[in-house]
Amino acid sequence: MDKPKFNIYQEAILSNAQLATRRLFLKQCGMGLGAVALQHLLGSCTPASNTIGSGIQYDPNNPMAPRAPHFPGKAKAVIYLHMAGAPSQLEMFDFKPDLAKLDGQLCPESLLEGKRFAFIRGVPKMLGPCANFQQRGQSGAWVSDILPHFAEVADEVSFLKAVYTDQFNHAPAQLMMQTGSARLGRPSMGAWVTYGLGSENSNLPGYVVLTSGGQNPDAGKAVWGSGFLPSVYQGVQCRSVGEPVLYLQDPHGIDRDLRKASIEAINEVNRSTYEEFQDPEILSRIAQYEMAYRMQVSAPEVMNINDEPEYIKEMYGVKPGKESFANNALLARKLIEKGVRFVQLFDWGWDAHGVSADTALDIGLVNKCREIDKAMSALLLDLKQRGLLDETLIVWGSEFGRTPMQENRNGLEVPFKGRDHHADAFTMWMAGGGVKKGVTFGETDEIGFSPVSGKVSVYDVQATVLNQLGFEHEKFTYPFQGRSFRLTDVAGEVIRAIV
Amino acid sequence: MKLSLFQNSRFFLWSICLLLLILLLANWVGLNKEAVHFNTQVKPIFNKKCISCHGGVKKKSGFSMMNRDELLRPNESGKPAIVPGKPNESELMRRITLHDPEERMPFEAAPLSTAEVATLRQWIKEGAVWGTHWAYVPVQPVKVPAANGFWGLFPAKGSAWATTDIDKFIFAKQQEQGLSHSPKASKATLLRRVSLDLIGMPAPDAIAKAYLKDSSPQAFEKLVDALLVSPRFGERWASMWLDLARYADTKGYERDPGRQIWRYRDWLIRALNAGMPYDQFLTEQIAGDLLPNPSDEQYLATAFHRNTTTNDEGGTDNEEFRTAAVLDRVNATFEGLLGTTFACTQCHGHPYEDIKHDEYYRVLAIFNNTRDEDTYEDYPLLRHYPTADSLKLDSLCAWVAKVSTPQRSLEMYTFLKTLQPSVNSITADRFVNSELYDTKTLVLRKDGTARFKQLDITGKTKLICRLQTYTEGGRWEIHQDSVKGPLVMELALPNTRWDWKMVELDIKAPQGKHDLYWVYRNPSIKEVTQGGIGFDWFYFTEPFPGLGQPESKKYQDNFWKLLNSYPETTPVALENPLQMHRTTQIFERGNWMVKGKAVQPGVPKLLGKLPEGAPANRLGFARWLVDPKNPLTARTMVNRLWEQIYGMGLVETLEDLGSQGTTPTHPELLDYLAWQFMHQQKWSIKAALKQMVSTNAYQQIALSNPKLQEKDPYNRYYARGPRVRLSAEQVRDQALAVSGLLSTKMYGPGVMPYQPEGIWASPYGNEKWVLSEGEDRHRRAVYTYHKRTGPYPSMLTFDGTTRNVCTARRIRTNTPLQALVTLNDPVYVEAAVGLAKRMRQLGGKDLNQQIGKGYYLIQHAKITKNKQKALAVLYQKALTQYQKNPQQTKELLGTEPVKDANDLAALTLVANALLNLDEVISKN
Repeated sequence: MDKPKFNIYQEAILSNAQLATRRLFLKQCGMGLGAVALQHLLGSCTPASNTIGSGIQYDPNNPMAPRAPHFPGKAKAVIYLHMAGAPSQLEMFDFKPDLAKLDGQLCPESLLEGKRFAFIRGVPKMLGPCANFQQRGQSGAWVSDILPHFAEVADEVSFLKAVYTDQFNHAPAQLMMQTGSARLGRPSMGAWVTYGLGSENSNLPGYVVLTSGGQNPDAGKAVWGSGFLPSVYQGVQCRSVGEPVLYLQDPHGIDRDLRKASIEAINEVNRSTYEEFQDPEILSRIAQYEMAYRMQVSAPEVMNINDEPEYIKEMYGVKPGKESFANNALLARKLIEKGVRFVQLFDWGWDAHGVSADTALDIGLVNKCREIDKAMSALLLDLKQRGLLDETLIVWGSEFGRTPMQENRNGLEVPFKGRDHHADAFTMWMAGGGVKKGVTFGETDEIGFSPVSGKVSVYDVQATVLNQLGFEHEKFTYPFQGRSFRLTDVAGEVIRAIV
Repeated sequence: MKLSLFQNSRFFLWSICLLLLILLLANWVGLNKEAVHFNTQVKPIFNKKCISCHGGVKKKSGFSMMNRDELLRPNESGKPAIVPGKPNESELMRRITLHDPEERMPFEAAPLSTAEVATLRQWIKEGAVWGTHWAYVPVQPVKVPAANGFWGLFPAKGSAWATTDIDKFIFAKQQEQGLSHSPKASKATLLRRVSLDLIGMPAPDAIAKAYLKDSSPQAFEKLVDALLVSPRFGERWASMWLDLARYADTKGYERDPGRQIWRYRDWLIRALNAGMPYDQFLTEQIAGDLLPNPSDEQYLATAFHRNTTTNDEGGTDNEEFRTAAVLDRVNATFEGLLGTTFACTQCHGHPYEDIKHDEYYRVLAIFNNTRDEDTYEDYPLLRHYPTADSLKLDSLCAWVAKVSTPQRSLEMYTFLKTLQPSVNSITADRFVNSELYDTKTLVLRKDGTARFKQLDITGKTKLICRLQTYTEGGRWEIHQDSVKGPLVMELALPNTRWDWKMVELDIKAPQGKHDLYWVYRNPSIKEVTQGGIGFDWFYFTEPFPGLGQPESKKYQDNFWKLLNSYPETTPVALENPLQMHRTTQIFERGNWMVKGKAVQPGVPKLLGKLPEGAPANRLGFARWLVDPKNPLTARTMVNRLWEQIYGMGLVETLEDLGSQGTTPTHPELLDYLAWQFMHQQKWSIKAALKQMVSTNAYQQIALSNPKLQEKDPYNRYYARGPRVRLSAEQVRDQALAVSGLLSTKMYGPGVMPYQPEGIWASPYGNEKWVLSEGEDRHRRAVYTYHKRTGPYPSMLTFDGTTRNVCTARRIRTNTPLQALVTLNDPVYVEAAVGLAKRMRQLGGKDLNQQIGKGYYLIQHAKITKNKQKALAVLYQKALTQYQKNPQQTKELLGTEPVKDANDLAALTLVANALLNLDEVISKN
């Protein structure tokens, strides 16, 4: 397949470019056909502004062609760490000494007025912090003892201490955070980014999702779905156990040589079909089969963490062959290195209601922190030592936070220390990709219940992520149902304080 | 005199000729002076440049451009934007031509182009005639264009091709575009094309053979007729409809548990196969339960709108998700059935169409009165009794009608079929030591109380309810108006030991609406926190009729037997009785928690009104939907059918025929088809499809060339036959069919063919993908179990939808992941083995014969030399390798002994390649 491979691939690109060029670009570019074809990047000829938004030129025959955003973004890629279930900010980042004094007292009713909770009924008791806090590094950011490794790298990140959402159930809130709407049907952040940027590496999926914690996020695959965008932009779930990408492995009894031979045969027949029909879609299919073949080689390579040096494995705390957050964190770095633009990690099991030891703030939560602490700190350091942190935005967060009150499920006391879902105030952090270091933005009241300053919404977080990649979130739209939809719906402001 | 007359008449004739010539010339010259057309020339400028600030959402300076009245009315500056006929006095003209950027419109944006300004000026000069967007004007009969060319005197070149009405429309547009048609495709090509289109898979052998043998001019028509009556037809078109119905076998969101609603899918297949007219098809799905004496089938049809997602996550607000479901029903109805964007009016007036905010809620009011309340059980459920019980039910109801009234008989029938109308325990509030347990059932603990707000149980003397108790002893009381108010009911409770039990109680019902309080007392309970009693639902009724009649006891026993049985069920729609009627209020800015003024049920003015005498409920809405005066229903459907057959709709945006949708390429053809569909074809989907495939346009070869690619890359003018990639379902069904594996078993619960491990991982969900047995592994794709949080992966890869919300159009993509599915998914490997076996069976010992047969099975045509050679080379390579390494052969084929295993393995590779060819993945 060596010789004809490149010819046919180039022919496909040329053909696509011809089509697209004539239709859409020639006028804008003021450039000849050949120049466009040579660049073989749709859209790369257009000036950096006004190319996207409703102006994105989606070519069904080459939907993953790399595209330039609105302006040169500081980040080239995003690693988004979503802790599904809502980790307790009050045990990890948002230190509230006054809450300790109120521990065990009944919550003032004024606090509960007009509020909706998932499980708290009647009047619950306040619950003091269940972890010890210290200020860390130069920045003096508060990080509790249950994140000892992360405490060491706290100076690298910007904390958002007063994020809020309007959903208090997991599935709708995850959808809100990842798709900008609490109902099913909208594209995910990663799908938007992939739609906007295309992919740098045609041998790997453009948007990769990795899960750990034994479960998918509560809202299911919709949180990495493509909604009304073409399905090609949905996240591809890569797995650290079994086939890294579904159907990637050759079937039993068909080895690489035979697979190569069969793709050669398929494409040879397809070439003669093209001679006959002259449908450019056929050329595109030929290219897709070439890519599939290359993906079969490159995806397992990039998904294999065994070959990493021991010190790296030790740094992340990986467990090869098992599904773990640590493995996924290391994989995220490898994928980013290979040009994947959006890698999203979902780790399940953070729903610390206190109904069992697993969900107790002083048992289950501590264990969950242990699972991510070393790895997420390593991810920061590893990217930094490779010079990739500056161009990789890392986002850590969840769908909401937890109440300063102790959960009283069904109006009863729960057996362990736990907190209910809380939509009004929670903590997220960002690092790299043009985000300031050592900033703590936003503040909650003495008990961590409501924001008092630096309040930011889910939409603001989304706008900031898009901004770091070079998108003006208000102009980054897709026409659907008669109007231009965007990730941030009708809201969102870039959080300038941290970028 | 005579002479002069002759001369005069000659002169007269000449004069007439001259006059005609002048008129013609004037007409010709005047072509460019045609009046400015509002919809195609003016409205697009408004939509693009003005309406984002002066439209249905924002009205900057109190000024909106949504309708003519608003433009003629003096606005804040005191001057009207437009004075018809007088552009120079029109403020609008002044503002768009100013140079001062502070005042010039559009504000802070590029000025209008000279051409745009000229268009607006001319339009105002001509009187600023407003127009309704074409899609909102009822369909009118359309004249089929004569295929005439020069001055209509002589047939246009090539017009003989345009023999059917559809072709004539297409021909006329081709003339305009400087395009021509292509030759007719071969029988083999047509056979495969029309089979994939009409039944979604290759034609069954008998049908294919009959057609290929038949050399009569009617051969194609006979083929089409045979396909239309094939049971595979309904399966194929149900697949399409399931996207609109957002059908799934699970409920969605966090726990995503299973939902038994497959009988709705089967209803669709039956209705489509039976050729149910589209007006009836819609009416039954929207309002089957409101038809007189609805049959089980009519109830089942209403499951269309019970496919909404629900959230069983702990701690959810049931009313929130009930509301979300009703909103989804409105949006799906408009997007899927009416091709109109409506969801935007949930928050504000429509940005582009003249649809007001409150008009959304008038439609919502129509859908807001079904009994479903987001209960865990998905009530109301239609109960499917086994035959013996159905007979019991029939005779019971017949007896009740005899000893009591037909009304009482109907009530009993409805109750036993649906357990409705009942009060759901989850509608309780004011909990004191009580709770909606996991937000699913009402539980009262020691001395617990709860309220049911404003129940009207006037005249009822009995209460049938479903409850469970968790301990010995205890009393349950119902009090009126307060926990200490008059006693409505009291009961010394049996211990059901956590089992659900149905009980009947005497009640003293108050007159009119009252708050009723549930009170539970049990002194034997020590712990305040211990649960005492749980409730599911409450049915207020009258005593069993016919007391004292000879057979009363027998029928009463049957009543309880039926009530206590657990038949299979399907969620259906059922209307609230009057005493449970919900009032609908506007949600301010779309927020369901902030309710505004109350509204009456109705439809947007832009789209007409409910037909004369139609009730203001779902049935009336359905009547309006299928009224030939409804401008959208027929257009939307024929456009959708056209897209399925020709690859792209006449309006590309199936979901939006409105002014923001794409402009139709053939507006007259669209209207012609819509008119035919309603009036000639009597809403017959099969007739409409037959007309669409019986054209010369459809039957052309699909070959393109650089000139066509340049002029019409997407084949919008049909200068060649349609060529598109197959749908997710078609790819699978075709592979199974040609490999001889496909099961034609119809109906029943969703099946679970091979799927990789780890696709399902719903938190708190303990349901598993259990590989189906036997032929259920090889059923058509339409029967594959669809889990919302983890849909069947290979379908998604081929652009199948997640079915969380109505998807009016699938957008086709082309990715390497698709190649990986058809190359490596064990389903396709198994199909390749099957196909290889058939190739050997049919092709004898000769390799080229075998390859030829394999190709023929798929394409009904001979393979060309060079294609055959490429595949033969693959075979030889594979054979050499398998001979060298028989272990690999075993890995591919399994341990089952086969003759010449290495040969079969090598042929399997060829078959696998065949199933991956572009011409196989595509419709040619």
